[in-house]
Amino acid sequence: MVDVAGILITGLQQGAIYALLGIGLTIILGTMQFLNLAHGALYLVGAYTGLLVVREISVQEGALAGIVADPTAFGIGSSFLVALVVTPILMFAIGVAMERFVARPLYDRSEVEQLLLTFGLALIVEELARQLIGSQPFSSYAPEELFGVVVSGQANIPFVGQYPRWRFVVIGLTFLLIGATYLVIERTDFGMVVKAGTRDSEMVRLLGIDITRSYALVFGVGAALAGLAGLVGGTIIDVAPGIGTNNALVPAFLTVVVGGAGSVVGAIVGGIVLGMVAAVFQFQAPQWSQIVLFGFVAVFLLVRPEGLFGSVEVGE
Amino acid sequence: MSDDARTDGGTATADPNLVDRLVAAKHSERFVAVVSLVGLLAMPFLLIDVLGVFDDLIGVGLGGFVGLPTLILAFGIVAVGYNLLLGYTGLLSFGHAALFGAAAYAAGIFSNEVVASPVLAILVGVVAATLLAWPIGFLSIRRSGVYFAVLTLTFGQMLYFYAFGPGAWLTNGDDGYTPFAVPGGAEIAGAVPTSDSLSDLFFDLTGLTLTLTDGLDVTVGYVLTALIGVAAIVTAHRIIKSPYGLILKAIGQNEQRVAFIGMDVFRYKLMAFVLSGVFAGAGGGIYALSKAGLTVHPNATLYWIVSGDFVIMTALGGVGSLAGPLLGAVVFEYIALVVQGITIPIIDFQIGSLWRLLLGLAFVLVVAFFPDGIYGALSSLGERIAERFGTESPTGDGPRPVEDVEETGGDD
Repeated sequence: MVDVAGILITGLQQGAIYALLGIGLTIILGTMQFLNLAHGALYLVGAYTGLLVVREISVQEGALAGIVADPTAFGIGSSFLVALVVTPILMFAIGVAMERFVARPLYDRSEVEQLLLTFGLALIVEELARQLIGSQPFSSYAPEELFGVVVSGQANIPFVGQYPRWRFVVIGLTFLLIGATYLVIERTDFGMVVKAGTRDSEMVRLLGIDITRSYALVFGVGAALAGLAGLVGGTIIDVAPGIGTNNALVPAFLTVVVGGAGSVVGAIVGGIVLGMVAAVFQFQAPQWSQIVLFGFVAVFLLVRPEGLFGSVEVGE
Repeated sequence: MSDDARTDGGTATADPNLVDRLVAAKHSERFVAVVSLVGLLAMPFLLIDVLGVFDDLIGVGLGGFVGLPTLILAFGIVAVGYNLLLGYTGLLSFGHAALFGAAAYAAGIFSNEVVASPVLAILVGVVAATLLAWPIGFLSIRRSGVYFAVLTLTFGQMLYFYAFGPGAWLTNGDDGYTPFAVPGGAEIAGAVPTSDSLSDLFFDLTGLTLTLTDGLDVTVGYVLTALIGVAAIVTAHRIIKSPYGLILKAIGQNEQRVAFIGMDVFRYKLMAFVLSGVFAGAGGGIYALSKAGLTVHPNATLYWIVSGDFVIMTALGGVGSLAGPLLGAVVFEYIALVVQGITIPIIDFQIGSLWRLLLGLAFVLVVAFFPDGIYGALSSLGERIAERFGTESPTGDGPRPVEDVEETGGDD
């Protein structure tokens, strides 16, 4: 018998990454009515950033070898923590730049043109990754230990049995990030503007709030979340140029339509639901797992097109 | 050809000016048929023989290979049908790879299991894609905009993963399926080999050497493909020019308004989807034919990125025009299959896998600066020339219909 607890944990871990991706996509979609097919490319950039940072700051083979003392000597664990700080900052900057140069000229143009242009952009990013870094997959860069605690290897968990320790760290980390984002959206002025913007961006503008600045911030936050999802996801699957479209873009879109476009809570719940559905069938019938996942979304879209927590209807 | 369904034959007969007469004549069906036949038959010559000259002159392999024109036309026919959906009805489908791939597999399986006849195989492909387009369209049409795109994507991906895993008994999964795996290759109606060139066929039939076509890389299979291509183009032309096409275009511009005047929008949208499925089926069948002895793989036929390729071809060439998608398919496949093999001499730089980067760049630039696509840019240039030399242009003022479609494609 396949362990139910094991399936649940796997589903939770996969779903948390979907949620992280979905939040970024949904706030951009909700606030600006902008469809970003390059969201998967941002995930890809995040994963490669993580990979490069971890490699370059590691004492064994990186550029800093011999210059800086062993990062593990600081007692903080590994270069993964550095990546955890560097990635969102870099991705935020990329997101802001993207809003300015890619999204802004397209706000007044049709949905189809937005899709087409960002799709072309995704192709370019993927090919650049292939050209600059190569198409070979890099295996996981998950650290050995964090803050002195061993996080690699298998742990013997009650009700679950042998399970990789790192997966628990991933679940904790993604939920921490999701929680932080949720608080920012729910409790800060910036969050208020975002939430109001998803309802009626015209009214926000009329109230005298500089929504153009907010747009850039929203895009930056969305990109940072996608990058973090890539960084975390890259510790679980091999990093290769195709992961942006295969492992990120499509799940992110499914998450958003299941959760309801524009809804942060919807993205969280939708992501976890999708992760669970995928995980159950991964254990029971691996060949059917993806088919069931897509079938689930199709039925869901037909029965409840506004999603679980849908507030805005995009393109309906 | 990009122009709307207004009949403007009157201008042609009233004015004897040659330029005006040519501009007006391009709307007639016979003109479209003749031009597309000449164009399609000239394509192998231009791609292989003319561009091939550069191979010898400067050592850069610009010329195509024998199978290239068939492949281009396979995708071109799909793009022409896809344009009926995206360019006219304003529906962005991300599931057309499912129709294309299903047709390719159906044609391939038919060729091995029943009879290795290219004509029948393509017919089977068309039937398979049509039958599949009906339920997918029936369900997806209920939603619009992004939701329509995601729904078509989910159905397409289900088929893709089915072909990969559980359906491997039928499709051979990741190993790929070999259509026309019969000794001697594909034969038209079991008699004429499709791989031979026309001059060989002429020699076989008459015992004479056809010196005129010496070096012309037109194969019998390509002639068959070109004839189907002409049929597809003429059909699309007729649909676009008919009142039916006008309704599709009206739906693309303002769905509510069409509903208000009492039209059954759902039915028209479904028919547009099914019609585009027929074209996708023909393209898929031809694709299977072009892969005789090689393999048809899920990644190259059923994967959603292939749907994206159809979108790219259509938008690159120009949505809302008849010739645009064909032009887009030529550019796309040429970059994909020929440019990637080019080595720039002196610096000895091989472009190789950069082709998708080039394609992405070309695509972004075209969408950003020429929303009407390559054909749109060319035809506005042509219009300016016609205005310069003709006494009056039938499409002189007012926005071109291409732009109309673009503007309102997504605000439903």
